[in-house]
Amino acid sequence: MADTAVAVPHGHHPAHEHHGPQGIWKYLWSTDHKMIAMQYMFTGMFMAVIGGFMAYVFRMQLAFPGVSVPGFGQVSPGEYNALITNHGSIMIFWVAMPVLIAAFGNYVIPLMIGADDMVFPRINRLSYQIFLLSVLVLLASFFVPGGGFGGAWTAYPPLSAVGEYNQTNLGSTLWLIAVILEFVAFLLGGINFITTLMNSRAPGMRAYDIPFVCWMIVIASILFMLSVGPLVAGAIMLLFDQTIGTGFYDPARGGDPILWQHLFWFFGHPEVYVVLLPAIGITVDIIATFARKKLFGYKLMLYTVIATGVLSFFVWAHHQFIAGIDPRMAHIFTVTTLLISVPIAELVFLIIATLYGGSITLSTPMLWALAFVAEFIIGGVTGIFLGASGADIYLHDTYFVLAHFHYTFFPIAIIGTFAGFTYWFPKMFGKMMDDTLGKIHFWGTVIPFNLIFIPLFVLGMGGQHRRIYNYEHFPELAGQGMYQLRQVATISLLVMLAFQLVFFYNCIKSWRSGPKAPKNPWLANTLEWTAESPPPHGNWPPDRMPKVYRGPYEYAHPDVAEDYWPQDQPA
Amino acid sequence: MADNHEHGDSHHVDYKKIYFTLLVLLIVSVVGPFFGVLWLTLLTAFGIAVVKANLVIQNFMHLRWEKRLMKWLLGASLLLMALFVAGVAPDVMNHEGDNWENLAAKAATERGIDGEVEGATVEGEPGEGVADAEQGEFSAQAAFNSVCAACHGQSGSGDGPAGAALDPAPADFNDPEFWAERDEQRIVTVIRDGAVAVGGSPLMVAWRGTYSEEQIQALAEYVMTFRPAGD
Amino acid sequence: MSFAKPQATLRSVTGIPTGRLAIWWVLASEVVIFGGLLGSYLMHRIGHPEWADAAVHTNVWIGAFNTFVLLTSSFTAVLAHQAAETGDGKKAAKLLMLTIGGALTFLIVKSAEWTMEISHGYTITANTFWSFYYTAAGLHAMHVIAGAIIMGFVAFDAYRGRELQRVELIGIYWHFVDVVWIFLFPLLYIAK
Repeated sequence: MADTAVAVPHGHHPAHEHHGPQGIWKYLWSTDHKMIAMQYMFTGMFMAVIGGFMAYVFRMQLAFPGVSVPGFGQVSPGEYNALITNHGSIMIFWVAMPVLIAAFGNYVIPLMIGADDMVFPRINRLSYQIFLLSVLVLLASFFVPGGGFGGAWTAYPPLSAVGEYNQTNLGSTLWLIAVILEFVAFLLGGINFITTLMNSRAPGMRAYDIPFVCWMIVIASILFMLSVGPLVAGAIMLLFDQTIGTGFYDPARGGDPILWQHLFWFFGHPEVYVVLLPAIGITVDIIATFARKKLFGYKLMLYTVIATGVLSFFVWAHHQFIAGIDPRMAHIFTVTTLLISVPIAELVFLIIATLYGGSITLSTPMLWALAFVAEFIIGGVTGIFLGASGADIYLHDTYFVLAHFHYTFFPIAIIGTFAGFTYWFPKMFGKMMDDTLGKIHFWGTVIPFNLIFIPLFVLGMGGQHRRIYNYEHFPELAGQGMYQLRQVATISLLVMLAFQLVFFYNCIKSWRSGPKAPKNPWLANTLEWTAESPPPHGNWPPDRMPKVYRGPYEYAHPDVAEDYWPQDQPA
Repeated sequence: MADNHEHGDSHHVDYKKIYFTLLVLLIVSVVGPFFGVLWLTLLTAFGIAVVKANLVIQNFMHLRWEKRLMKWLLGASLLLMALFVAGVAPDVMNHEGDNWENLAAKAATERGIDGEVEGATVEGEPGEGVADAEQGEFSAQAAFNSVCAACHGQSGSGDGPAGAALDPAPADFNDPEFWAERDEQRIVTVIRDGAVAVGGSPLMVAWRGTYSEEQIQALAEYVMTFRPAGD
Repeated sequence: MSFAKPQATLRSVTGIPTGRLAIWWVLASEVVIFGGLLGSYLMHRIGHPEWADAAVHTNVWIGAFNTFVLLTSSFTAVLAHQAAETGDGKKAAKLLMLTIGGALTFLIVKSAEWTMEISHGYTITANTFWSFYYTAAGLHAMHVIAGAIIMGFVAFDAYRGRELQRVELIGIYWHFVDVVWIFLFPLLYIAK
C-alpha cells in the first residue's frame, strides 16, 4: 500500500513513540504483534470450546447410543459424521495452529529477539483477518442446508467430492474454502515469523543465542510453507470436483482418488510436526527456567529437530499403508517412519539430561511441561506399532490410531498451550495467576485425559474401527467390556471438561484481581522478561532496545552471584 | 539510499543479450515438434524450458549474486517436488495390476477422448450416464452388482456387507411384504431421487446425478426381477 | 492514519534486505504449490496417453505469443529494477507500467483463447486433460492478476520516488510468474 506518511526516503525513521489506534479501533486496525497474538489466542480458544463441545456430543452418543444428548439432542448418523469431521478439523487447523504458532509466535518472538514488532505488521494484521474469515466460513458451514461437512477431516474423495455421497453438499464446499483460507493466512504469517527471526534480532544475538521456542516456531513455519503447496493444489482440484463437476479424483474420468490421499498426507504428516515443534519449544524453555539449568545440548537439540523436520517429509504414506499403495513403497515408508522415532527419542533424553541435577520448582507451568514430555512419550511409542506396515494392517482405522494421535495431539495442543499460557500470563496480562487453582486445573485435566484414551487403546486392539456412530450394530464390539470402556472414556471426558471451568475462572479472577506481576516473576534470562508486564506498544523505549551479550540459558553460572544471568546484562 | 544492494557493481549483466537469447530459445522450442522426432521434441520443449528458466532465475532474479542460503532454499523446494512425484508416481501412474487388467482404461485409450462422457458427478443435474467400457451399452445387472449390491446384496435380500450397520436395514427385494404397496414407478422414483422423496430414510441416496433416466429405468426393471413370483 | 515502520523491519542480520528475504520465502512456497499441481498433471498425462487427442487442440501459436509477451514483460521488469537502482523512480515506474501492459496483453490473449476453446466444446469438465489445463493456467493467471495489481501500487510509489527497493521485489515475483509459464508452455502446448 502506498505509504501515506510524509514521503521520507526509505531508511529514515523518526525516533518517536508512535501510538497505535485507540479505543475500539484497536481491535480492527492494530498492527501490534501483541494485539494480533491475543486475537489469535482468543479465537483459537473459542474454537477449542466448540471443538470440545463436539467431542462431548459424539462421545455421549458413543457411550449411550440413541440417547438424546443434553444440550444437543438426538445424534443422527449424518450429524455424527459432521461432528467428528469438524472436531478434527477445528482442533488441528483452528486451535493448535493459531494458538501454538500464531498466538505464541506472534507474542513472544519479537520480544524474545529484542525487536519492537514483526517485520511486516500490516501483513500480520491481514493474516489474522483472513484467518478470522476462515473461522466465519467454517462456522457458516454448520448452518447451511445439510449442515457441516461430514466426510472426515481427511476428506478422501469420492466421499468428499460428491455431494450425494457425503450428504453435506454445501457444507463440504464451505469447509474446503475455510481450509484454503486458513492455509493462506498461515502462509502469510509464516513469512513474517521466518523473516523476523532471520533479520530482526537484537545486536549481539547470534544464531545460538536465540531462545529455543523461537527456533521451533520458525522451523515449524518453514515446514508448513514447504509442505502445504501440494495440498493447496489438491484442494483447488477437490473444490472443482465438488462444485463444477471436474473429474480430478474420479477414476471413471481418468482421475485418481489415491492422488488426493498423497497430496493430503504429503502435507498432513509434516503438519503434525508443524504443531509439535512449538510445543517442544515451549516445554524446553519452561524446563530450563524452572530447573535453573542450561539446556543439555542446545545445538544437538536444534540439529535433532531440524533432522526430524527433514525426515518428516519422507514418511507420509504410512497413513496409506492399506489404501492400496504400491507395497514396495510401504516397505520404504515403514523404514523412514521407524527412523523418525530416533531423533524424537534423543530429544527426550536431552530434556531428561537437562532436568537431571537441576534445582527443580514444580510450578504450574513446569507441571504442564513435564506432563507434555511424559504423555508425548506414550503417544510416540504407540506410533511405532502403527509405523510397522504389518501391524498397521490390523490397527489401521481402529481406535488404536485414534488413541495414538490423541496421545500426541493432546499434549501438543492442550498441555503445550496451558504450559505456555500459564508461563507467559504474567507478561501478557500483567497479573499473576493463582498457582493453587492452576494445579487443581492441571491434575483435573491430565488424569482424566489418560482415563479417556487408555480405554480407547484397548478398544482399538479389540478391533473397534473408527468413524462408526453406533457400535450396537456390531455384535462383536457391543459386548461385555467393550461398552463399559466406551463409557469410562466418556465419563472421564465429562470430568475433564468440568475442570476446564477452573481454568476459565482462574484466568478471569487473576486478570481482574490477581497480584500485579513484576517484569520477571520467574527470574528467567530471556529478553521478554526485561520488558514491562504487559509491554507497551514498541515493547521497549525506541532508544533503549536491548542488546544481547550471551545465550538464553545461562542459569547457575559460576561467574554470577544470582542463579540466572539475563541476556541483556553487559558482562 | 534508493535500495540496499550489497553487491553494488558485481552484477553487470547485459539484460538485452539475455532477452534475445530467451527469444531465440523460444523459437527453437516451438520449431522442435515439427521434426516429428519424439526425443528431439522433448529435448527442445523441456530442456529449453529448463535453460530459459535458469537464465531468468540467475540473471533477472539475480540469484547468481544472492546469498547461498536462498539458493539452498529454492533447491530444497525443488527437491521436495521431486520427492513428491517419486513417492506418488508408483500409485498414480500404475494402471495395471499383477493379477488384474484395467479394462476401463484400455477401452478409454482405444476410444480416445471423444468417447468419454461428462456430467457424471454434478449435483442435481441429469447425468449423461456411465459409459460401459466394453460394449458401449449399459448393463443394469453389472451396475447393480457393483454399486447397489454393497447394501442390497447380490441377491437383493438387503444383506450386502455395507448394509449391515444401517438402520433401517436396506430393503429386501425378495420379501413379498416389500412389494405389497410398491410398484415399478416407485422404484424408479426412489432410485432417481432417493428414499426421502417418498418419505423414507436418507440412507438410500439419490442417483440421478450418476445415471441417466434410461439407465435408472433399466435398474428399476432389474430390481423388479427380484420380486417373488405370484404377487 | 500514518504507518511508521518498526525498527524490526529495518534490521538485517543476514545481510539480505528484509523485503527480498521475504519474497524468496514466498517463492519457495509457490514452487511447491505449482510443483504439486504440475507434478500431478505430469503423472496423469504420462499415464493417460489417450489425452493426446484432447491436447492436440491447444494452440501452440497463441501459447508461443503469450510466452513472448511474458518474456518481454520480464525484460521490462528487470530494466525497471536497473532504473530503480540508480534512483530514477520515474523511469522505473514507466517500465513497470510497460510490464503491467504485458500482463494485460497476456490476460486478454488468454481470455480470447479460452473463449475460442470453450466455444468448441473444450470446457473444464469436457475431459480431465482440459480440467488440468484450465486449472493450471487459471492458477497462473490469478498470480498474473495479483502481481499486476501489486505492481501498480509499487509503480505509483516509485513514480514519487518512494520505496524504490520494492521495484526489485515485485520484479522477482514477476520473474517467478514468468518461470512458471516457461514450464506451462511446453507442458500444455508443445509436448502434447
